[in-house]
Amino acid sequence: MHIGRCELKALSKIIKVDYLSRVEGEGGLVIEIKDDRTVRLRVNIFEAPRFFESFLRGRPYFDVMDFTARICGICPVAYQMSSVHAIEKIFNIEVEKPIKELRRLLYCGEWIESHALHIYLLNGPDFYNIESAWSSKEYLTIAKKGLYFKKLGNEILTILGGRSVHPISIRVGGFYKMPDKKSLSALLPELKKAYEESLKEIKWVAGLQFNDNSWDTEYVSLIHDNEYPMNYGNVASNKGLNMPMEKFIENVQEYQVNYSTALHSGLKRDSYVSPYVVGPLSRLNLNYEKLPAEIQNMIKEAGISLPITNTHMSIIARSVELAYAFYEAIRIINEYNEYDRSFIDSELKEGEAVWITEAPRGILIHRYELDNSGYVKNCTIIPPTSQNFAHIEADIYRFVQNNIDKPEDFIKKESEKIIRSYDPCISCSVHVVKTRNC
Amino acid sequence: MKKPRIGIFKFTSCDGCQLTILNMEDEIIDIIELFDIAYFREATDKPLRGQFDISIVEGSISTDWQKEEIVDIRENSRHLITIGACATSGGLQALRNWASLSSYKKYVYPTPDIINALSTSTPISDHVYVDYELWGCPINKHALSETLVSFLIGKRPGIPKYSLCMECKRHGIPCVLVSAGEPCLGPITKTGCGALCTSFGRPCYGCFGPKDDANIESLLRHFQNIGLTQKDCMSLLDKMNSYAYRKVRIEGIK
Repeated sequence: MHIGRCELKALSKIIKVDYLSRVEGEGGLVIEIKDDRTVRLRVNIFEAPRFFESFLRGRPYFDVMDFTARICGICPVAYQMSSVHAIEKIFNIEVEKPIKELRRLLYCGEWIESHALHIYLLNGPDFYNIESAWSSKEYLTIAKKGLYFKKLGNEILTILGGRSVHPISIRVGGFYKMPDKKSLSALLPELKKAYEESLKEIKWVAGLQFNDNSWDTEYVSLIHDNEYPMNYGNVASNKGLNMPMEKFIENVQEYQVNYSTALHSGLKRDSYVSPYVVGPLSRLNLNYEKLPAEIQNMIKEAGISLPITNTHMSIIARSVELAYAFYEAIRIINEYNEYDRSFIDSELKEGEAVWITEAPRGILIHRYELDNSGYVKNCTIIPPTSQNFAHIEADIYRFVQNNIDKPEDFIKKESEKIIRSYDPCISCSVHVVKTRNC
Repeated sequence: MKKPRIGIFKFTSCDGCQLTILNMEDEIIDIIELFDIAYFREATDKPLRGQFDISIVEGSISTDWQKEEIVDIRENSRHLITIGACATSGGLQALRNWASLSSYKKYVYPTPDIINALSTSTPISDHVYVDYELWGCPINKHALSETLVSFLIGKRPGIPKYSLCMECKRHGIPCVLVSAGEPCLGPITKTGCGALCTSFGRPCYGCFGPKDDANIESLLRHFQNIGLTQKDCMSLLDKMNSYAYRKVRIEGIK
């Protein structure tokens, strides 16, 4: 039967979200459905580009940590960690154990504040169908717990880094200044209380209502022999990937789509590029054995079975990691002894290095090339959110296909929730990579 | 009394200053009590509607549509407050102002032609009238609560504009510039951070932008006397507040 254009139009519907809320940064969503099939699905990113890689070129190496921090106000430590380790690798130095531990503590602070923000203020309201964390009296008590956790994370950052947004203490070779044991120990009673509280919270998130959207997908994170990964390790996936950091970057294919200021990326396969997912869920699925027994027990007690194959349940992984970050912060502070040497000296070296660390939202890849005076010649930054975009779209596509007969409003709201469950950081994602031909 | 309506808007930025609002964990519940937070994309689904008693703006103007949008916001706001280095002086991304946009685009994007961006990143005050500016990268949350409280009781916020050096003296921090011979921007930079970097033994790198009537030339001469090149000096100024430091310097040279 021949269908005229007008009739075709009548069969297609367009679902639009102009401006996503409760995510970091600026993006929208368009879903076009025709003849019960999704024909177009786009996560539009209209966040204005800032061209970080461009103005990093020609800057001295010691500016890099201050500059890259400004890519993201929520996860500046992640940028400082990936860049400082990459530069230390070029200079061929490895920091001493107390420094490694304190940098891990700094990361704990960031995981706590970032995860607490997302669980309680950005993602949490979705499960109660409210517009914000303070729009219902009932939820406000839950939100206050989140604020309490977040504040402690910020306090760790402030003691170690001077302030929680754009800390100032990280330098090549270590820190500008070491914290004193007294001010760190003063946090312990509150941290212990928060840890006990956060353990109980795992049960709360496990009891939330999730749409069923399990699928066989690829989870990518760092793995490490002796610890839950933050600053060190190999890159691995549940599909058998396991390689050193510098090898992994060669396996990532970045590509530009015409509706986004953020590049997308996937893993190079023989004839195609396949989406993958990074972040708390990937870390938990691949590193569950590295968690302390009491957290593992709580996961079992809450009735969570691993691996979790429904990406919408990432709030559970975030909550597990929140508890773990408290646990780890307490351990590091307990073991920390006053240590005088805040940094080790290094000599300028020409060279190139890749380093990957686990930002709250997943692996953050940095590559730097320095000249012999320590100035940046070239650099590449691949944030976790750019790595997740292709996967987010694939995820929404599956969901829409499975719910194609549902009301438009339902599809729209649930798709927004899917995007939110990834905790996208759009400001981060709008810094894209340069292939090596310059 | 009706609660004042607040709108929180974002342009080109890292969200760090908006996050400072959410980082006021002890005060945020009071803020919600005292103000009607009517628009805040990062924290609530509330759609954009009506007029605002106060609009708090983060981020710089770096695209065509932002130029339009800021005018709309201004027209619908009784008071407009800008927060953070991006909004008050163009931010780190204003480094593109002294470079070629097409080369920047080419370096970052495989298909640079489809990326819409202006060749400059400029502060909000270059586009519309701003009632009050909160400087800093990021802003200090105490300055923000001081500003909001001042609004409620109808006074001018008591936020100091003198140089960081005053803060160092008050904290008894040995001078990084004189005794350690480090290139510190303290003498030409507004206080506001609580002398953070200097208390960590590192020179100030200018998060809070130039203080009023900063004598930049004189400080740069001192830097050259301690062995810095002209290029080094420029790269000290060219950070989160490069647009503001350069402007003050040009005005100073006159």
